[in-house]
Amino acid sequence: MKNEPPRIDWPEEGPTRSPYRVMNDPEIYRQEMQRIFRGPVWHYLCLDCEIPNAGDFRTTFIGENPIIVTRDADGGINAMVNRCAHKGALLCIDPCGNRKEFACVYHAWTYSLKGDLTAVAFQRGLAGTGGMPSDFDLKQHGLERVRVENFCGMVYGTFDDKLEDVETYLGPEMSAHVRRIFNRPVEVIGYSHQLLPNNWKLYMENSRDPYHATILHAFYATFKLNRLSMQGGVALGHNGWHNLLYSAAERDIQKDDYQGKGLRSVIKDVGLEDSSFLTRLQEFDDGITVAIQSIFPTCNTQQIYNTLAIRQTVPLGLTKSELHVTCFGYKDDDAELRRMRNQQANLIGPAGYVSMEDGSVGGYVQRGIAGADKDEASIMEMGGRDIKQSPGVRATEVALRGFWQAYRELMGF
Amino acid sequence: MAKATLDDATRRKITDLNDSYIRAIDDDRLEEWPVLFTEKCLYRITTRENYARGFEMPLMEGISRGMLIDRVTGYRRVNIYEPHRYTHMVSGLAVEKIDGNRVTCRQNYLVIRTMINGEMTVFSAGIYYDKILLGADGAMFEERIVVQESCRVDTLLVIPL
Repeated sequence: MKNEPPRIDWPEEGPTRSPYRVMNDPEIYRQEMQRIFRGPVWHYLCLDCEIPNAGDFRTTFIGENPIIVTRDADGGINAMVNRCAHKGALLCIDPCGNRKEFACVYHAWTYSLKGDLTAVAFQRGLAGTGGMPSDFDLKQHGLERVRVENFCGMVYGTFDDKLEDVETYLGPEMSAHVRRIFNRPVEVIGYSHQLLPNNWKLYMENSRDPYHATILHAFYATFKLNRLSMQGGVALGHNGWHNLLYSAAERDIQKDDYQGKGLRSVIKDVGLEDSSFLTRLQEFDDGITVAIQSIFPTCNTQQIYNTLAIRQTVPLGLTKSELHVTCFGYKDDDAELRRMRNQQANLIGPAGYVSMEDGSVGGYVQRGIAGADKDEASIMEMGGRDIKQSPGVRATEVALRGFWQAYRELMGF
Repeated sequence: MAKATLDDATRRKITDLNDSYIRAIDDDRLEEWPVLFTEKCLYRITTRENYARGFEMPLMEGISRGMLIDRVTGYRRVNIYEPHRYTHMVSGLAVEKIDGNRVTCRQNYLVIRTMINGEMTVFSAGIYYDKILLGADGAMFEERIVVQESCRVDTLLVIPL
């Protein structure tokens, strides 16, 4: 397979433009699978707390590659491509569970929790006939390994053996934010999966875009929950590969004490019949109430009030993708805080008051750009034309420019 | 596994309630939907994946009639989505328990979604787990937990299931 990038004349305006062709050219998509998803990039795989015990596993994806993440008997975390070395069949269909080993249902080739091939059915044949050649070496036919690292309870994987560690990859600003969220043990409180009718990169743009939040998500403005005028900004990491969009809403809402451990805000007079689900606890000392972090390429961490989640975007071909959302709380949450997280789930996910539109808007773009001329491109000049730290700036597309700069670097465009 | 049998009058009240629920949603008269619930209630949409693991986190939830009215407001005036309609098919009523004027039961549901461009999709299928309060003239939902069999939602969920 040739690994030459398709020729593309990126507009001379640089990262303030993105040609529509990158959203609807199958050859570019194929190259992304190699250059980005098998490239020098760390991919979020799962949470450490989802596989606590020996034999626990979780299946996920890197790009289109099916992946198994396991906890072995030594307590180590392993990740392998979920593809039998014999005929390429999926080894493990279940999303999670506990196994001693992985045996392929097709011909019973069996692998350890570390991905080593341990047995091949009828290797010596039957009654002295058939079987594998005598020089067949099990050691040469294990599962394809994925290098893994556990950073603050987030398990990352890469196909690149030379890539720096996760903390260096993230950079100091983004590592600090991961530490802020994963400051103590967490546990999963629910999952959601949302099919997006668009190329994966359209969601990557959406989650890096504070410009649209109060316009498209009319719930925010209608019920006075978020305005672009609130304090907040955009922090960049790794020269703009990653970013954090943050805002603080406390000036807008009333406060009262919450059992001496923080501040509980009850939102009143917003025009809702029953706004009790917006009751929330200020659980971070920095006062930030909404923080969406993008970790290149397809991982987001999310704090929207008391909803905490990891979003992973999985490409499903050129014009489809799927959002896998893992919501979590802290193990030491009391019942009231856990109830708030569950109630506030009304805001997020495919039915979320402030998020459902993201499910459809990518499809509007995907359908809008169908048949576009090869030179047509989207425009990202809000907040300037450069890529720089933008504290205090929310009306900006700087984080999208950072994404496209990283994308071009990896794709050779 | 039905453990209780219904007299005809009770069965009719439950059937009428379900029919009103379907008509309110499928005829786009969603304002008539919250009044089928008691003032304090539980309406929750979740997935089999979350329900089976005991996760209470909803996709959509109301714990009062007011919260259901707010969902209707969101649908009518606030949230942005592509126009679409539902066609409900509901069947297989199984009564688990009758306790005075409260009936615990479940039914299968199927929702077909039709978009304005003509595309029709099986959007959701699963089970309604209900707690129904019987009155002299009819019945109301105290609780309806919608457990969708699929873990996945196509695009978005704005109209209740």
